[in-house]
Amino acid sequence: MKDIRAELRTREMLTSMAVYALLVLTIYGAALAQVGDTLQVIQFAGGLLWALIVFTSLLGLNRSFSHETESGCLEGILLAPIDRAVVFLAKATSNLLFLAVVEVIVLPLFFLFFLSGAELAATTPMIALPLFVGTVGVAGVGTLLSTMTIDTRGRDVLLAILFIPVIFPLLYACVSATTVAFLGVEGTFGTFWTSCAVAAVYDVIMIATAWGLYEFVVDA
Amino acid sequence: MPREARGAGSAAGAGSAARACASELAVEAHGLIKQFGARRGLDGVDLAVPAGAFLSIFGPNGAGKTTLLRMLALLSRPTRGSLRILGVDALEEPDALRSRIGLISHKSMLYGDLTARENLEFFSSLYEGEPNRERIDELLRLVELDHRANDCARTFSRGMQQRLSIARALVMDPDLVLLDEPYSGLDPHAAELFDELIGRVRDGRTFIMVSHDLEKGYQMCTHALILARGQVVVCAEKDQIDAGAFRDLYLATVGMGVA
Repeated sequence: MKDIRAELRTREMLTSMAVYALLVLTIYGAALAQVGDTLQVIQFAGGLLWALIVFTSLLGLNRSFSHETESGCLEGILLAPIDRAVVFLAKATSNLLFLAVVEVIVLPLFFLFFLSGAELAATTPMIALPLFVGTVGVAGVGTLLSTMTIDTRGRDVLLAILFIPVIFPLLYACVSATTVAFLGVEGTFGTFWTSCAVAAVYDVIMIATAWGLYEFVVDA
Repeated sequence: MPREARGAGSAAGAGSAARACASELAVEAHGLIKQFGARRGLDGVDLAVPAGAFLSIFGPNGAGKTTLLRMLALLSRPTRGSLRILGVDALEEPDALRSRIGLISHKSMLYGDLTARENLEFFSSLYEGEPNRERIDELLRLVELDHRANDCARTFSRGMQQRLSIARALVMDPDLVLLDEPYSGLDPHAAELFDELIGRVRDGRTFIMVSHDLEKGYQMCTHALILARGQVVVCAEKDQIDAGAFRDLYLATVGMGVA
């Protein structure tokens, strides 16, 4: 609650994530400017969208924890008789919320910039499922890893180095499911459901692991 | 005495009579060792702090002062040794103690984007589920920040932030208050105000302070300790210490030397 209250007051994290996402979209625009046929863009739109989400998440996760460390606030929380797993859950939930807000801002722009000329498949709204499952995993794993890197030198780089390999299975599954939903080709929906299931299982395993490990991470 | 038995009390505290510990020692440590890889942060520290005492811990950088204080704040566990705080085994039942220990550090532990009142409400809710608004109002008056209660903490001067830190540390009316270099960054006037406030909230509580400021730390304490290379060099009641000899020993310990 205090994260939301502080963010509503400053809008620092959401603004920086949204601006960063817009800049990535602009770079995508420049990179794809010579590709006239938007039908080709839709082939890899899922990958573009997830690259945008992952890089924006990294920025947000770093910012989210800088507030906790700059004045020793995390230590202030850890002094209290509360389960460390509850601290993880609270932080992961606020990160999830901020990521969801940024996705709500960025998704329409992504469609406007890259898919406005394309004939969208009727299955396009199904991207909501991999987006949800993927964002939950990114927030959960990201919260654990950013806590681990919080006091390290060059934590921004270290977080990226740890985060991207760890979420690779989730990323792969979500890109796969999102691409299937964008293309809407008959007979490929088995892949969609399998990918979503893989992502969901990944979430359960990784969030349960993070929940269990959080006490060791913050008390180390 | 259990917390429930202490009653509401005033913002300054529940009263020295009500703070009598089950044990006469607020802190009792034996052979505390903290190993960081190949290095020992603490090397067999024994400590006995009577309830209601004000212990000042001095020592050079890297002596293990903050390591010891973090251990007493239950933020870190010793590699070996035993530790009883307020009569409770701190290693077996840390959660039973957390709401009885307050920490004031050189870091404010405050959220800059929350107001003074919101900060206290947040930390109060961590201990009591719901913020204790009556106590928060009393604490804001005590630290003379009631007129700035609705201003963001980042707009406060360092001295004001440190006063708000005192309120934060007292929000659950602790019996043991730990101070980690609380004078860092304070100008003389703010330091004077800080001392005055600490004097007002003593109220039978046990205080343990880590400080580099020998004059100030010695002036405030009832007991003094010098730590060097993770070991206790001397620990005694102030009445039994020769101030000059203690100063010389401190200077020798920090490597400044004496003639």
